[in-house]
Amino acid sequence: MNKHPNRRDFLRLTGASLAGAALYGTFGARRAWADQLGDDKVWKQCSGVTLNFISENTPPSSAIAANLQPFQDLTGIKLNLTQLQLGDVTQKVALDIGSQQGFWHVIYADPYQILAPYYQGLMDLNEFVHDNTLPQVPKGVDDFIPTQLDADGRFLDKKALYTLPYDCPTLIWIYRKDLFEKYQAKMQQALGFDPTPSGERTWEQYYQIADWFNKNAKSDVPFGTGHQARQYDSLMADYTSVLLAYGGDYFNNGQELGLYGTKTPGKCLVTSPEAIEATKFYKKLIAIAHPGSTSWDWDGVAKAFEAGQIAMMPEWHEYAAEFEHSNLKGKVGYSILPRGPKRSANLYGGTGNGINKFAKEKERRAAWLFLVWSTSPAAQLEDLKSKVGGGTPTRQSVYDLPEARAAMEQDSDMPNLLAAKYALEAWKPENIGLRPKISTWNECDTVIFTEVSKMLTAGQSPENTCTAMQRQIDKINKAG
Amino acid sequence: MKTEPHRPAALPYASDPERPVPDVRRKGDAPLRRYRFEFMMMLPALLLLAAISLFPFVYLIWMSLNTVSLAGGLGFTFVGLDNWLQLFSDPQVGQSWKISLIYFACTVGTELVLGIVVALALHALHFGRHLVLSLVLMPIFIAPSIAGLLGYFLVDPVYGFYGWVLRTLGIFSGNLLGTASSAMPTLILIDVWQWTPLIILIVSAGLASLPEDVMEAAKIDGATYFQRLFRIVLPLLAPIILIALLIRSMDAIRFFDAIALTTNGGPADTTKVVAIRLYETAFRFFHLGYAAAIGLTMLIFTIVIAKVFLRALSGRELTN
Amino acid sequence: MQPLRFLKTAILLLFVLVFVVWTLFPIAWMVLSSFKPNNALFAFPPKFIFTPTGDHYAGLFTGSSNFAGYIQNSVIAAVSSTVISIILGTAAGYGLARSHFRGKADLSFWIISTRMAPIAAVILPLYLFYSKLHLLNTLLGLVIAYLTFSLPFAIWLMNAFFVDLPIALEEAAKVDGASKWQSFVHIVLPLSAPGVVTTAILCFIFAWNDYAFATTFGGPGSQTIPIAAAQLMTQSGIDWGKLMAIGTVTVLPMIFFGMAVRRWLVRGLTLGAVK
Repeated sequence: MNKHPNRRDFLRLTGASLAGAALYGTFGARRAWADQLGDDKVWKQCSGVTLNFISENTPPSSAIAANLQPFQDLTGIKLNLTQLQLGDVTQKVALDIGSQQGFWHVIYADPYQILAPYYQGLMDLNEFVHDNTLPQVPKGVDDFIPTQLDADGRFLDKKALYTLPYDCPTLIWIYRKDLFEKYQAKMQQALGFDPTPSGERTWEQYYQIADWFNKNAKSDVPFGTGHQARQYDSLMADYTSVLLAYGGDYFNNGQELGLYGTKTPGKCLVTSPEAIEATKFYKKLIAIAHPGSTSWDWDGVAKAFEAGQIAMMPEWHEYAAEFEHSNLKGKVGYSILPRGPKRSANLYGGTGNGINKFAKEKERRAAWLFLVWSTSPAAQLEDLKSKVGGGTPTRQSVYDLPEARAAMEQDSDMPNLLAAKYALEAWKPENIGLRPKISTWNECDTVIFTEVSKMLTAGQSPENTCTAMQRQIDKINKAG
Repeated sequence: MKTEPHRPAALPYASDPERPVPDVRRKGDAPLRRYRFEFMMMLPALLLLAAISLFPFVYLIWMSLNTVSLAGGLGFTFVGLDNWLQLFSDPQVGQSWKISLIYFACTVGTELVLGIVVALALHALHFGRHLVLSLVLMPIFIAPSIAGLLGYFLVDPVYGFYGWVLRTLGIFSGNLLGTASSAMPTLILIDVWQWTPLIILIVSAGLASLPEDVMEAAKIDGATYFQRLFRIVLPLLAPIILIALLIRSMDAIRFFDAIALTTNGGPADTTKVVAIRLYETAFRFFHLGYAAAIGLTMLIFTIVIAKVFLRALSGRELTN
Repeated sequence: MQPLRFLKTAILLLFVLVFVVWTLFPIAWMVLSSFKPNNALFAFPPKFIFTPTGDHYAGLFTGSSNFAGYIQNSVIAAVSSTVISIILGTAAGYGLARSHFRGKADLSFWIISTRMAPIAAVILPLYLFYSKLHLLNTLLGLVIAYLTFSLPFAIWLMNAFFVDLPIALEEAAKVDGASKWQSFVHIVLPLSAPGVVTTAILCFIFAWNDYAFATTFGGPGSQTIPIAAAQLMTQSGIDWGKLMAIGTVTVLPMIFFGMAVRRWLVRGLTLGAVK
């Protein structure tokens, strides 16, 4: 039995969705076209092409890498999958697009590091969506979670679509359910509020819970909270969730910038009173966190959690699969992140796959086949069950499947859905946390995690940190 | 080993009056004709080397005088000395140089002292010297990237062995690589772990070739061990130590694999050596022209260091 | 006097012992860890006793990781660059050793300075060349990159070996009517075999261990073992078990090779400056 959807599964799910989509006029016509050509022919039209796909080493890619056969069988296309760290992906894509070589046909286009600076090197996928001779996105592109589709796929132009949402890790609150249950009454008495994690808790309360664990539960867990606060992207993500919750932001109109991006972000606003408040709080929080925090990225903090070193943490929801396969099985709880004075902001880390404009015609069509296949409901359902993968779907319809609904409530072979229940909550427009989508993000990002790291590990004050960030970011964006 | 090989005899640039040269040059006999065979032998290698090193070098200089853009094909915009002016007023690059020099001085210094001490200790051992030498050499052959990752694994505060030892002893409970004050010392120790054996190897070879008669004479004169060490042994070893120093210095600037894979410059930029900054400037921000200027300063620094050492070496040779 | 001497020897031994342990422990720990099942790998406190497993090694060669392909790439890149360096370097080293001309010192310094150039500075122009010449993502690109340091290294080192080779034999051959080429092939080369082997092994090890060039220039068709190791640091975790297995597989042959040329190692690692 294949781990990945075989052709029949795929066609079954696709067929069902197409039948549903036949309600829409255009889809009906397209369906007929597809019937005429025959499914096989439509899918085999690029047979013999070799496709280079460059991706971050992210769960859905690992799942695909583990079993390339189904796609090859379906299309006759040979897929070369290269998985690298995001920085390396960015570097290779930048040069490839810069030199207009079209070596990488399918590009894992991080919205901030790749899409924003190099969107001109990516195809507008509407061209394929409106091409009758190509297989269509099952259930149409509107099946993708709306905030994801915008955040991953669009830049400047609200109509042009550069990528299809492929993965969607999102920072949520992950905690030791067993410990929270054990100490619930004691904590409630000592702290004066119900400590059970939910979107109703505040960051200040999160701090108090962590502090309480530090002082009262040493025998069960050495530290209350842990963070991915290494001088790296992870620190930016962890910090930004707090910043946005407090009502701070990097630029004016942050949510809009997060969804659609801009070429002129204007002046950096990170010295606003809200931002300084958030930064002060963040420093205070990390000061009582596990001391390993400043050296951990998302993986380090996850390992510490698994090793019973911390009781809770903000972490990418996709880690649920790993925890539910570890000795913590059944002992882990999930929630959206705490609120700040403004809201709960759950930083979104998803990415879509795009097609290189400089690839040859045939390769672009082949790339489209891969895009449709790899984001199809069948593939996403299989990914949920994959032992090596374990990403979560980017489509509403997969979450609506009865099988998926059930798995959100209880132990199943799709453990990530336990966390996805809360991720769905996190992706709502009012809860999603978004970075600004700007072409200079790479540099701004580096400034942010470097300065915040200085604050956490080298004694820099929150005020100076904000000022330093603002000064450098304005210099980068030439917005003095 | 023979009696005098501690002398750096084989440095080809240092013309050696003692060594017989085939058919000493005769007037009017141009070297080109005289050594036609030898030149033909050199030619392929030199042409290839020029193509892969001289040409890129010139290109690097040209890059440093331009703004190099990638979008829409490779584009050069001549900006004169802008990159250079920016370079000399960039406090971050200055800070990176400071970090690099500290890293450089601490690694090479520690390795040198420790290496010499261990080599002397091994020399004083009457048995098992070769076995021990073989064993301690092993780290040299490990890829620096793997050595870095291994260090990262060992000092992790949760599952790393060294992290566990430090915590159990109550010395340190955080992550050595994640704390501003300890990250650089940890990286230095990883380098020291890997490269001290090289110094031991080189100094051991030097010790083995010390002239026995001189040592015996000194012993008979009643000199103590430390008198002999500082008055006779170390001065005799000086050229060899200089060579060890040169080799290590070059490589300390040259390699950045271990840092790139462990801290990549963090935390709080405390380990952002120049090579890491260059890599970031070039391949994360794509300021390629500016990166070229940084690269050239590294190159110049390396060449100056090499020249200084080699000169010191030739000086030594003459006075000996 | 006697007890004092005993004490001195004891301190000496202890010092050497501590140093040996400090040096060998990480390697031993790496090998040990590569056989640990995951629960023992992340156990707290660390475990010395466990039921060994070959899973990490098996995992390298099955499923999604194309480790055999990485090994092949590493071998091809390292062997090709070594062979080219040795052939050209031996010839040039000999030519340099047996000729005299003005500017020889400068030429020598230029050769060795290319070996010493910081990798980060070398990568930059090569990167742009490669993008123009379509050499990115190719093994040929890697071979050329490795030549930038192994070729000058080979020239310099072989030169050092030839300079030490007594000229008398070649002169005798000349008297017997042999051409320079004949005496090089039949007399000089056989005598310089140890030099060639040492140089080759060191060139090979440097290329085999490279990370910086491979990560910048490598693509799907040219990824080498150190890249495979770095790739195990994924978004969803560092697979330390496999990483330790890769480390072990990569390091052990190099240690073996290194030990094989230990006698000449000093010369090699000091660029021939020390015998």
